Amino acid sequence: MDNGITSYCRITNKAVVVNGEKHTIPRTDSAWLSDIYHAENLSYPKFFKMDNLAKAGFLGAELTLQDVGIDKTEPKKNIAVVCCNRSSSLDDDTAYQQTIQNPADYYPSPAVFVYTLANIVTGEISIRNKIMGESAFYVMEHCNPQKFCSFVRGAFSDKTIDACLCGWTEYNNGNCDVLFLFVTRNELNDLELNIEKLYR
Amino acid sequence: MIYQISHNIISPLGFSSEENFRAVKDGKTKLKLQETAFSLPEPFFGALIDDDLLDAEFARINTQNFRYTKFEKAAIISVSKALQQSDIQPNSPRVQFILSTTKGNVHLLENADGFDSERVYLWKSAQLIANFFGNSNEPIVVSNACISGASAQITAKRMLESNECDYAIVVGADMLSKFVVSGFQSFKALSKELCKPYDKNRVGLNLGEAAATIIYGKTDKSLPENSIVLVSGAMANDANHISGPSRTGAGLYLAIQKAMDGFATPNEIAFVNAHGTATAYNDDMESLALTSARLNERPVNSLKAYFGHTLGAAGVLESIISSLAIIDGTALKTNNLHERGTVAPLNTLTENQSCSEHTFLKVLSGFGGSNAALLFKKFTQHNG
Amino acid sequence: MEELITELKKEIIDVLNLEGMTPEDIDSDAPMFGDEGLALDSIDALELIVLLEKNYGIKLANAAAGKEVFKSVRTMAEYVSKNRTK
Repeated sequence: MDNGITSYCRITNKAVVVNGEKHTIPRTDSAWLSDIYHAENLSYPKFFKMDNLAKAGFLGAELTLQDVGIDKTEPKKNIAVVCCNRSSSLDDDTAYQQTIQNPADYYPSPAVFVYTLANIVTGEISIRNKIMGESAFYVMEHCNPQKFCSFVRGAFSDKTIDACLCGWTEYNNGNCDVLFLFVTRNELNDLELNIEKLYR
Repeated sequence: MIYQISHNIISPLGFSSEENFRAVKDGKTKLKLQETAFSLPEPFFGALIDDDLLDAEFARINTQNFRYTKFEKAAIISVSKALQQSDIQPNSPRVQFILSTTKGNVHLLENADGFDSERVYLWKSAQLIANFFGNSNEPIVVSNACISGASAQITAKRMLESNECDYAIVVGADMLSKFVVSGFQSFKALSKELCKPYDKNRVGLNLGEAAATIIYGKTDKSLPENSIVLVSGAMANDANHISGPSRTGAGLYLAIQKAMDGFATPNEIAFVNAHGTATAYNDDMESLALTSARLNERPVNSLKAYFGHTLGAAGVLESIISSLAIIDGTALKTNNLHERGTVAPLNTLTENQSCSEHTFLKVLSGFGGSNAALLFKKFTQHNG
Repeated sequence: MEELITELKKEIIDVLNLEGMTPEDIDSDAPMFGDEGLALDSIDALELIVLLEKNYGIKLANAAAGKEVFKSVRTMAEYVSKNRTK
């Protein structure tokens, strides 16, 4: 536990920090997110079908949960997944548009289209961890700690929820900006301050 | 109590909630084969809002020299009409705008049409909509796939209950485009004819476009007769597959349980307005969830064969139609349902019938494994 | 046929993002869908339908038609060999 939050993970284009500890990510010719996947010794082949937003959010959640003792195979109804970002699924929208832009090369891709909904990232996280509590996605211009906190509080108004896996999951045009947190009900009071501190 | 102050629907069936309800009650639809829309190589079955009618309506309220997209215009008109039926000052800091949409102005990716590149951002459209009414609170944007409209109403309820605002203007909107239609075509999820929710011979969904607004308020006093109260709302995830519905309906069942527990029993439910997209899997999944929740004998309907699937608008639009239905004492039929055919039998209506109970349930499911259930009650002097 | 099978394996690995796999890792006769082997899902099936059209000019009417065609890489190769227009 650090900062009065059970666990958190910050991923930018330059670094991966989990609960105050910077993780070493050896760079290869592959994409940054793939390098993180390999460096962290993850084993989840579906990762490579995801779009960048889902990959970024998936990694944020996965690393945040590394030291939180949850059973990934047991269905859990008492955890909520709440994400927000600025670009929604624009990164993948742009990729999908390319599959339909040219009438002479018109091959709409279902595997790309499925990720043109921002909340799919919460779906991937829910599937990976068997989380059945509510999942929600919000869009805002900037990461506003007060609003972010309000969404998380909202999830806790469901009395069956004991913890929330929440994240600012922004990925667009090569820019990765992720802050993921695992918070319990009694960590709500300091949440806004903690988001502000950790997002910087 | 969180209750509806006023509402509006903008759809091909009309520009008022009442007009839309009357059309639905009379079994009408504007869904048809769209052969030329969006220069798609394959036609699709859907309903589009007439651009000229929308522009004429917008010209009546737009006093500024600022260009808006169809998506923004429809949303603004809908909010404007809902506000006209209330006393609310939309520019008050105690009024919160909540926008529910899946794709906003995504059509601008194909052709920017002279709009700034920022216009594809959902928060930008939301700001323009709120600013049109002089409201300077940062609007909330809910983008939760097909359950967005329910998600947004749940967000409104929570904000009202925690006193973050006094009024919440929930507007759901999505317009169709080559982007959206081609995507569903690539999924082979569309029917080339009028869709048949819950029917044995259903083959897929139809797409539609709409904007719908509900203005919510809060009170601990009495309400006018026939006010609609949002009693509870809940969401849950299948944790199964990102685009395929759960084979057991576990997530939807959980959402329904959470929404109903302690608030209503099955026999108090006048009807369930379900999602009923007319895909093989969705309708089967719903039949399992509703059976688990012991709602399989209650009247069930889908509105998708009147409006098509209106994506981000669906949760709001269908809540409004169902609200008018319960005030009217009518459990609406499911249009174009001829032979029931879900894996678990449901009491899906093939004719409108009268109902006397005061509570109804609205459920939706969406990509990402999300499910939502909203419990509404008609306030009367006897049950309030 | 073996050349086409190898070509298809490369394309499958590419369009379905089967990271780290090589054609040698794929058994030509193993079921592609279901719980074993490649364990492909419904979206993968739809993406293979696009592959057939894009690379071989074959248009499958619906996902159900794909069930027999995509049983294994070999059945897929046989179908392509018989029906390709590119």
